[in-house]
Amino acid sequence: MTTEKEKTPEAMKDIDLEALNEFASLVAAAKDAMTDDMVTRMASAFSEGMTLLDRLTRNEGLIHLLQELDRPENQRFLISLSNAFTAASRDISISPPAKGGVVGICKLGCNSGTQEGLRLVSLIGEHLSESMREMHRRGG
Amino acid sequence: MRILIVGGGTGGTIVANNLARRLAPEIRARTSKITMLSASDQHMYQPGLLYVAFGQMMPDELYRKQTSLLESSIEFHVDPVDKFELDRNEVRTKSGKTYGYDILVIATGSRVMPRKIPGLEEGSETFYTEAGAVSMFKKLREFEGGNLGIVVGVPHKCPIAPVEVTFSLHDYFKKRGIRDKVNIKYHYPINRIHSIENVAIWAKPEFDRMGVEYETLFNIEEVDAENKIVKSMEGSEYKYDLLISIPEHHGMGVIEDNELGRDGWIPTDRHMLTMEGRDNVYVVGDTTNLPVSKTGSAAHFEAEIIAENIASIIKIGVPVNEYDGKVYCFIEAGHDKATYANFNYENPPDLRAANKSMHWFKMSYNKMYWTSVRGLL
Repeated sequence: MTTEKEKTPEAMKDIDLEALNEFASLVAAAKDAMTDDMVTRMASAFSEGMTLLDRLTRNEGLIHLLQELDRPENQRFLISLSNAFTAASRDISISPPAKGGVVGICKLGCNSGTQEGLRLVSLIGEHLSESMREMHRRGG
Repeated sequence: MRILIVGGGTGGTIVANNLARRLAPEIRARTSKITMLSASDQHMYQPGLLYVAFGQMMPDELYRKQTSLLESSIEFHVDPVDKFELDRNEVRTKSGKTYGYDILVIATGSRVMPRKIPGLEEGSETFYTEAGAVSMFKKLREFEGGNLGIVVGVPHKCPIAPVEVTFSLHDYFKKRGIRDKVNIKYHYPINRIHSIENVAIWAKPEFDRMGVEYETLFNIEEVDAENKIVKSMEGSEYKYDLLISIPEHHGMGVIEDNELGRDGWIPTDRHMLTMEGRDNVYVVGDTTNLPVSKTGSAAHFEAEIIAENIASIIKIGVPVNEYDGKVYCFIEAGHDKATYANFNYENPPDLRAANKSMHWFKMSYNKMYWTSVRGLL
């Protein structure tokens, strides 16, 4: 069995030439298959892709958001949010339509789930307004 | 530091975007501000007009909204400048507003002047405007044979264009199967077929191969549109059936009206790109009087130097770079091959044989331009 190291320079030359020939055939085949329109469309996609990538990588807000998403508690929050939407969607599909009126609101307000929900929303609102005030203070 | 850019073409847009990237911290800290004033809310890819003239591109492919190309930190107004008050570091616009600046960049570009030659506008087709390019394509489509003349005025934008249009005409009629019925004659104002010597040396045997006749030292004096005759200042005449003209260009009227430079070309320092006698006024692209081609490529390389120097002046107090006259021009040698010319003040271009890969590079660049003008490439 011949190893790579034992090959003669002539043999190497043949292999190199063969590879080069193959590559040249590939390029020629690609040239024959391509049209100006295809080249233009690919260049357009590449150009727009580059622009999008550039805008994304220089967007400080997005980078900050990605850093936040790296934190496990935020990932857990997003998973919980997604689960909550799925469950709410299922529940709403099997609940009868609301009848309206004050009695309905009272009944809903007495529900412990509604009270938990309202507490969560008010807590989120409190932290959100603090965070927005802080961002405006920093000139963001 | 207030930076005011007048003109939203290739040069002005690249300066603005490049500066906005370099000065991002200063703009955030509100110690620097970039403002651009332009005559239009649209940005046109002008080299595409040659493709429109041969039905290879549609006019709407040449336009993007200017705001979609600018960094969001740049303040943009469609409000063309009317008056330059350079002693007061101010400009006045057509809407009557006054804009002050610490650094001014003039990037107003150039315009065709077909009316300087009697009969040229009525008697010839040109592809330097959108309407002209569309009209030229329609005329070419209707053309069934005869004498087709190409005439050139100087100076003009894109010096390679006369050669490119000749190659394209040859390929266009060949594809239609009527090349043998069309006599193409190329007329050029100096004593060789192109102002750049190596382009002339390269193009001459190509013209011979294609059967294109040529006459040098032909400076257009007038066109008799009724009898279809173009006359030269040297005394010769050419009877044509279809005339394609590349008219003389001037800088924009606002430059001439404000007496900033003869024929609208502003005297510019060839390395620092500042207006002569004004260290805080930069000139970019076609607007300069530099001995380089009036092309998007020259504007691009100049714009990068200007942005680098303005940023370094703001950050460390001095400029750091100089323009060496670099120009990189694609040359379409027909509809399926191309070559390029790369040159600067010191080194003339060394042209290679045209090939399909370079043609595709040019076709790709027609789309990549938008990445380039955003200051990314």
